[in-house]
Amino acid sequence: MARLLEVKGVTKTFGRLVAINNLSFYVEEGEALGLMGPNGSGKTTLFNTLIGDYLQDSGEIFFREKEISKYSTHERVKMGIARTYQIPRPFYEMTVAENIHVSTVPDKAIASLRRRGHTELEEKLAEDVGLKDHISHYPYELTMGDLRRLELAKALALNPKITLLDEIFAGLTVAEIGEISDLIGKKRDEGLDFIVVSHDLQALAPLVSRVVVINFGKLIDEGSYEEVVNNEEVKQVYFGY
Amino acid sequence: MIKQRTLSRPMIGWLIFLGVMLVVGAVIPARWGRLCIMANYSAIFAISWDILCGATGYVSFGHPFIIGVAGYTTAILAKQIGMPLYATMPIGIAAGMGAGMLFFLPGLRLRGNYFCIVTLAAMIIIHQLVVAVRSDLTGGSRGLTAVPALFIGMTPNYYLSFILLFCIALGMWYVLRSDAGMTFNAIRMDEDTVSGLGLSTFRFKLIAFTLSALVGAVGGVFFTHYIASIAPGSIFGMTFMLSMILATLVGGLNTIIGPIIGAYFITFLLGILRPYIMGPPRFVAYALICFGLYIAKSRGIYGIVQDAVNWYRQKKG
Repeated sequence: MARLLEVKGVTKTFGRLVAINNLSFYVEEGEALGLMGPNGSGKTTLFNTLIGDYLQDSGEIFFREKEISKYSTHERVKMGIARTYQIPRPFYEMTVAENIHVSTVPDKAIASLRRRGHTELEEKLAEDVGLKDHISHYPYELTMGDLRRLELAKALALNPKITLLDEIFAGLTVAEIGEISDLIGKKRDEGLDFIVVSHDLQALAPLVSRVVVINFGKLIDEGSYEEVVNNEEVKQVYFGY
Repeated sequence: MIKQRTLSRPMIGWLIFLGVMLVVGAVIPARWGRLCIMANYSAIFAISWDILCGATGYVSFGHPFIIGVAGYTTAILAKQIGMPLYATMPIGIAAGMGAGMLFFLPGLRLRGNYFCIVTLAAMIIIHQLVVAVRSDLTGGSRGLTAVPALFIGMTPNYYLSFILLFCIALGMWYVLRSDAGMTFNAIRMDEDTVSGLGLSTFRFKLIAFTLSALVGAVGGVFFTHYIASIAPGSIFGMTFMLSMILATLVGGLNTIIGPIIGAYFITFLLGILRPYIMGPPRFVAYALICFGLYIAKSRGIYGIVQDAVNWYRQKKG
């Protein structure tokens, strides 16, 4: 199967702190990859590097066999990489519909000067992620679960080839975790490829076909969920026994 | 089904504004008419500031730079070289926008306070240059007087300034309601997230800046030919810069209508206070009233009106 995204020997440092250390892994077309690691292991830094918020010190990142390091964040997003944030980042003065609408704004000067009302796409996306009843609400009126849904809707509006889901279950109730997990599972079945970071392994396990585990920015294991959770090193760094 | 926002109610508001101001121009006494003209130009400058700073959050202290370059260019070409106004005015607008682009565009890659500093520096530099370089052309520190005027008399100048203001305000109001306007606001709220949604933030900041510079330069050119003079102390001074910021803040930031309300409020406040409080105390009273208003309601007079309308609607059920 063709490789959708490939990271080759990427290193990212902040001063003397090595956040990502010569890391290599890949995601194939049609694959859902889990990314595990203890707090501070470099998962979010890796996402920031993949999306272009950070430029790696060395190594290469390929998307559909094209080296993308020289491309800025918005160019990478247009290529087909989207992300959600660990701490949801909605536009707080905009309604849910308007938040989704920003994802659909054309990145062209003249086209963007035309006024558009809310489109059916926004309605459909809001309905898809379960925000239909909140479409006119502001982010500060939403629960954490709904904010996660909004993050997802904004990412899906970009029609991405791959989505980076950062701690998508963090701060959610058990019921919300189940709902968001079902939603992601449904999107995966519809053809969405993603890399998902989560500390909630029960939620992560059924979603992913393969897992990559990192610690101190280094790859320590990769394989099926069952394989990696039985790896002694993973047990030690992640479960503490 | 999402309810489509209709244009009808705001458009009715704009038409009422147009009608009232056209009637006012025919009946207003000359003294108050001149205040209206000053308020109209102040509103144009405040809108110019609002479209960049209010919408995208990139605060500029250098708008007088754009306005001044546009004003000086048309004044020099018309008075010193003797070119006709129909030629000098477009050149002045182009010069103001071009100079703004040259100095401020690199600054748009900077964030927060750094952009403010770049714009402030540009204004201080041009102030010194106008005084020191080719004072035979610029008039040095005294500036240029007897610049050819477009119209003589209150009434034509009132209508000219108002029609300019109306067209600019309506155009910019439309822009703020477009996808681009929505993106300007998104940039103000979280620029990195906007990039993460596949939009070039530099492109949208460039659109906002271009529109802002265009409005400022148009205002600068027409204002120079209205007052028929231009001097570095007044155009590049802190008072002029702060008055356009104050009009925006007092009226209501990021609303386009707010700067019009704010410009009229502060212009008429100074005019009304004039017979009662002389000299500097008048400006102290003016500052206290404006800042008191801003502290009481940070969304400005526009916010007060909005709250009153909402309260009335709720009461009415």
